[in-house]
Amino acid sequence: MKLLIVEDERSLSRAICEYLKVEGHICEEAHNYHEAIKKTADNTYNCLVLDLGLPDGSGLDIIRELKKNKAADRVLILSARSSLEDKITGLKIGADDYLSKPFHMAELSARINSVCRRDNFNGFNELSFNEIKIRTDAQEVLINDKLLNLTRKEYDLLVFFMINKDRVITKESIVEHLWGDNVILTDSFDFIYTHVKNLRKKLLSYNCGNYIKVIYGFGYKFSEP
Amino acid sequence: MKLLTRSTYYYFVFSILVLFFAGVGLYYTIRSIVYRQIDESLITEKTIIQDQIEETDTIPDFSASFGHQIEVQLLPYRLRYSQSIRDTDIFDSGTEKFLAFRHIRFTGSTPKYTGYVINIYQLNNESSSLLDSIGLGMFFLLVALFLILIALNYLISRNIWKPFYKTLSEARSFDVLDNNRLDLPDTNIDEFRQMNDVLEEMTRKIKKDYVHLKEYNENLSHEIQTPLAVIRSKLDILIQNRKLNKESINLIKSINEASIRLFRLNQALLLMSRIENLQFAETRKISLRELVEKILMNYEEIMQLKKIKVETEFADKAMVNMNEDLADVMISNLLGNAIRHNIDGGFIRCRLDDRSLTITNSGLPLKAHPEKLFNRFQKGSDHPDGIGLGLSIVKNIADHYRMGISFSSSGTVHEIKLDYGDDAFRLI
Repeated sequence: MKLLIVEDERSLSRAICEYLKVEGHICEEAHNYHEAIKKTADNTYNCLVLDLGLPDGSGLDIIRELKKNKAADRVLILSARSSLEDKITGLKIGADDYLSKPFHMAELSARINSVCRRDNFNGFNELSFNEIKIRTDAQEVLINDKLLNLTRKEYDLLVFFMINKDRVITKESIVEHLWGDNVILTDSFDFIYTHVKNLRKKLLSYNCGNYIKVIYGFGYKFSEP
Repeated sequence: MKLLTRSTYYYFVFSILVLFFAGVGLYYTIRSIVYRQIDESLITEKTIIQDQIEETDTIPDFSASFGHQIEVQLLPYRLRYSQSIRDTDIFDSGTEKFLAFRHIRFTGSTPKYTGYVINIYQLNNESSSLLDSIGLGMFFLLVALFLILIALNYLISRNIWKPFYKTLSEARSFDVLDNNRLDLPDTNIDEFRQMNDVLEEMTRKIKKDYVHLKEYNENLSHEIQTPLAVIRSKLDILIQNRKLNKESINLIKSINEASIRLFRLNQALLLMSRIENLQFAETRKISLRELVEKILMNYEEIMQLKKIKVETEFADKAMVNMNEDLADVMISNLLGNAIRHNIDGGFIRCRLDDRSLTITNSGLPLKAHPEKLFNRFQKGSDHPDGIGLGLSIVKNIADHYRMGISFSSSGTVHEIKLDYGDDAFRLI
């Protein structure tokens, strides 16, 4: 996918690009309003990751500009100004999702993926990894074409793993992804362990490969054994 | 004690003193005038008698002649002329009382009488009745003064002090969150006007400072978000490195933990400052039952793992008028707390009726004081990762919607009650 990161904090936009490039995305950066307007006019992106507070203009105006030109680009708002009005306005004028700073890269990646999956073409609504196939529209998991029953959270966890395959995912980002960040469940890390264990057990019972690895000190990694 | 009562009290005490001394002074002044008159009449009479004696060389019989009582005493030896005026009390057998007399005594001698002493007495009852009447007069004056002071007191407090009391009640109802200015009464009394000016200036400054502080808090929290985002994103990249040794992994791990803590703190403070800045104005009717069920479902697996038994009792379809996000944060925090501070195999009881939501949970005995639990940075347990802001956020939200929130604890059973009984925020 082709992505444009509009973020004035250069070290952050570089980090985002660096992370997303590994997943095979093409990442470009814009550091201010004018640069962003110019780039979106010249190119088409699958998704814009957009910071609202830019030095020379508002990110909201970029969305308006895009929608005026009927550009098909998906927009994910990324903002430190997590004020509610911004969020509501942003979504109202055509942004697809909203993520407030600071965020986990795995979460950003999952959000971008989910936003782009809404463009129902070229098989985005299907995630696959070897013998695992997930139909996200029906929320079905197939292992070697056999339907696997998962709980809601297990399903979310598997999708999260698949989107962030080959990456180390921290337990904290899993907790935030599964339960939201409204509540601080400090001992939830034990539950992650149990959840992952259950998921792995279910996968193995369907003769699926053991793809979930424990990474010492940080969390997990979903990759080829 | 009211200022007016106190000043009246001083006036009164002072008046008593003044009236007392004035009474004493008056008494002596009037008495000396009366005495002078009596003395003059005694001396006149004495002169008449003396003249008569000298002219006629006889001492007349006084018993019937004058109104005064006159005593004559004859002595066998010569006496030189002398005169003295005195007070004398004489016992009156008729009334069995001592009567006050003024009396003049003079002596002399004539060729016929070797020596004589003449005493002229005049009844002097004016003096004592004077004292009585002055005392009585003073007493009535005092009573009158007292009544006048009370009346004056009433009138003054009703009129002159009116602007003061108005200002006082305005100042009492001062709320830093309120946008209205103080409505201070116009007054032409300098002191009150000055006080009003000072109050107005002070409250204006307090409000200004408060707004600045709020803005500062919010801006600060916002500004911290970006560097935090940089830290987090760099950490996410750093941990992808396969060549990390155990030592670096542990270092990164603790950096990560600290950054998460910082993030949570900042997030909580930001949320609270946004509640205080009234950025959650948008409200809608929310079914608490649905919300509680949704959140319990979200935590279902965690509760299963902890073997926590959940009992719910929804007696009523309580609807509250709240901001959706805030309601979510509040109930999530309450239930999250009930889970977090629970014990393995414990229980959570949720009771919802038309006035309140009660969440009861088992747990370890409380370490902090229950009253302080809602304070910022007050932790109820030794949980290392709790930032101590959860209940403070709940309290903030409850205050925002004027709901009552109370905590009670008896040993290992803790109960939080959210009281939204106020009709203004409950719509069915």
